[in-house]
Amino acid sequence: MKTLRILYAMARADFLERTRRYSFLLMLGLVVWIGYLSASGQFRMRVPPDYTGIVNSAWVGATMTVTVSFLLGWVGFYIVKGSVSRDYSTGVGQIMATTPLSRPLYLLGKWLSNFAVLAIAVFILVLEGILMNLVLGRGSFNLLALAAPLVIIALPFMGLIAAFAVLFESIAWLRRGLGNLIYFFLFLFGLAGTAAFATVGAPGKPVNPLLDFAGWQIIGDGISRAAQAAYPGAASGFAFSISSEPATKLFQWNGIQWTADIFLSRLLFLLIAPGLVILSSVFFDRFDSSHLAPMKKQNINQMKEQKASSDLTPVATIEALPVPEAHLTPLPAGRARFRLGTLFMAELKLSLKGQHWWWFTVVIGLVIAQLLSGIQATRILLIVAWVWPILILGGLGWREARFDTRQIVFSAPRPLLNQLPAAWLSAFVVMALAGSGALVRFILAGDTVSVLGWITGAIFIPSLAFFLGTLTGSSKAFEALYVLWMYLLTQKVSMLDFAGLTPHSPWFLYALLSLVLIALAVFTRQRQLRSG
Amino acid sequence: MNLSISHLSKQYRRDFWGLRDFDLELGPGVTGLLGPNGAGKSTLMRMLATITRPTEGKVLWNGVDILKSPDVLRAVLGYLPQDFGIYPNLTGQEFLEYMAAIKGLEARSARRRIEELLVLVNLVDAASRPLGGYSGGMKQRVGIAQALLNDPQLLIVDEPTVGLDPEERVRFRNLLSDLSGERIILLSTHIVSDVEATATEIVILNQGRKLQHAVPEKLLELLAGRVWQWTVPSTELPALKQKFILSSTARRADGIQVRVVSDSAPSPEAQPIPPSLEDVYLQLVSTDGTRS
Repeated sequence: MKTLRILYAMARADFLERTRRYSFLLMLGLVVWIGYLSASGQFRMRVPPDYTGIVNSAWVGATMTVTVSFLLGWVGFYIVKGSVSRDYSTGVGQIMATTPLSRPLYLLGKWLSNFAVLAIAVFILVLEGILMNLVLGRGSFNLLALAAPLVIIALPFMGLIAAFAVLFESIAWLRRGLGNLIYFFLFLFGLAGTAAFATVGAPGKPVNPLLDFAGWQIIGDGISRAAQAAYPGAASGFAFSISSEPATKLFQWNGIQWTADIFLSRLLFLLIAPGLVILSSVFFDRFDSSHLAPMKKQNINQMKEQKASSDLTPVATIEALPVPEAHLTPLPAGRARFRLGTLFMAELKLSLKGQHWWWFTVVIGLVIAQLLSGIQATRILLIVAWVWPILILGGLGWREARFDTRQIVFSAPRPLLNQLPAAWLSAFVVMALAGSGALVRFILAGDTVSVLGWITGAIFIPSLAFFLGTLTGSSKAFEALYVLWMYLLTQKVSMLDFAGLTPHSPWFLYALLSLVLIALAVFTRQRQLRSG
Repeated sequence: MNLSISHLSKQYRRDFWGLRDFDLELGPGVTGLLGPNGAGKSTLMRMLATITRPTEGKVLWNGVDILKSPDVLRAVLGYLPQDFGIYPNLTGQEFLEYMAAIKGLEARSARRRIEELLVLVNLVDAASRPLGGYSGGMKQRVGIAQALLNDPQLLIVDEPTVGLDPEERVRFRNLLSDLSGERIILLSTHIVSDVEATATEIVILNQGRKLQHAVPEKLLELLAGRVWQWTVPSTELPALKQKFILSSTARRADGIQVRVVSDSAPSPEAQPIPPSLEDVYLQLVSTDGTRS
């Protein structure tokens, strides 16, 4: 009973803390948008090549389930992750560590809070589905058909996402940007894996329930069978896209045939989630970070010497100790003025300091590879080289908030006009160096468009990072968006090609957008400076 | 060199002012800002450091309005906030180099200045170690060094001795006194002894308002002949606490020695003693608290 009370108190406090944050409102906005697109039929689920279900409660419920699984499974992780890190940075964790609170209990509290945040999103979708159905009035309303996939399929998946967020926060090296990056690929490949197994088994019986964590097999199985019944040429599986064009090849689907196997498989994920959290407690250091940076022996000896000398000093004689005089050479007049070169070098050093030798080795390797590869391979290598500094880029625009140096940095002269350009320029140089091999290749090949695209890319990426970092006060938004964006670049999505890598790249628009993003970052920073 | 503050106010919520109608004229020297937690000291300091915008009022630096032209003050400002962070991957030396660049110092002068400051704050041996491994006191000393980087004409230090060991505290106090000749230093603290040792003027704040602004001697005069000391049995202490403001108590072999502020002798055994700044501070703050 006492344990449950502790768990409830922890989860409640954490939940309330989050719901009063700006990011929670952003998530609600995203959820309402997902709901609207799904219920209005713009977020279209289709069975290949182009068969779509008639919009009814079951179809809306299934579409919402798929879209929420994809978007919240991906973005939701970044939204809920950070609760344990916050306890580290605020020092609350150190206080908790001195209480009898056990590791599993602490992490379970965090999981419950994560889960509650994501569960709210699912319930909002249910309510929105009901509302949209009543407003749009498409077909007869069936609450069970609408809500069941969200509750039975999406909700356990959200529990799993919440548990993954806890796991990534429990392992020190996954706690920050690297973990965000790894999760993206884990999620993407995991989802691709589960989709690949869709519609292989018998109706209502997931083929590989342990792989179907998002429940896509269950939905894919049902709708492709309904499509094949109406159109024998329909393929297996499903795809989804955004479209405002009316669908023409329609089929009737009345919802998932719920079976005991489906219930059991979803229940299994609901049980795996807390299991994963308990497993996380093995890696969780309980706010004892001493193992992260073992002190060098020399430093320990120095500290011992210092302590020994201070131990010998009686407190009563302190006032009589000789204190060195302040020998400070006065600075020449007109000393403080904007020195872009010095500040740029300082910002560059700050960006690169702390990177391991192998990080630089990989950069050098990528530059050499860009120089030696064929032009098409160079383009892919350029994408990889520009993703590599993601953790440096992720710090742009909010580093002063992250390390709490705002007061001393922003009380220096012209913080907006001096520091911001120098920091942006340092990021541009990092991008330019990482992609320098490709630039040389493009110049040698006389490919002017690629050269201009390269310049636009090197300008656009730091601008986007700066804007999102300044706006959100976190690296998460940039990291989540950037990896997806760069992944889509490898898939040659022309519309998103800011670097002139595809024939129809609108890179010139991104050059303009870069200027807009820089202006918005400056405006946001200015507002932050004014509001103090 | 002059800092002029008039009607300065900061409203946080509709019904809560962090600072209200604050006036002050400052010239070279150390001005100690004393007040209990929540008195408005940090709010005032953040506004003077151009971090927070006031709701009302004006701050003039040598006649220039710093709300309109904050960079005029920032160029000559050294600020040590109460809470601040560092970049854990940079060494102490690198962090100071970074801050020197942020403050727009020329590289060669900055290098010499940093060397001198590292000696001054006793961090020469630790200068090449990453800041992430520094103790709280060492970080505070880095903070002090960065505040002095640009040879500031206005030095604002908010609770500077927090986390320092006694030896470093004395060193810092002496440093402030040495630096005070040609600059304005505003020292905020709730440790009366820090102000006693260094301040040429003292401002006492409570609940967002200025209670007193005077030189220490004038403040001590306020309680001349009104501070009493005698020894009582420990059983009488609770009753005494109900009746008087006890500015200090000390256990003795024959009971407890108490120090009380009172217009007349509180007991036949009580002896008048010279007042301390602590007596004045406690008296002003507690009577202000009773009044409000």
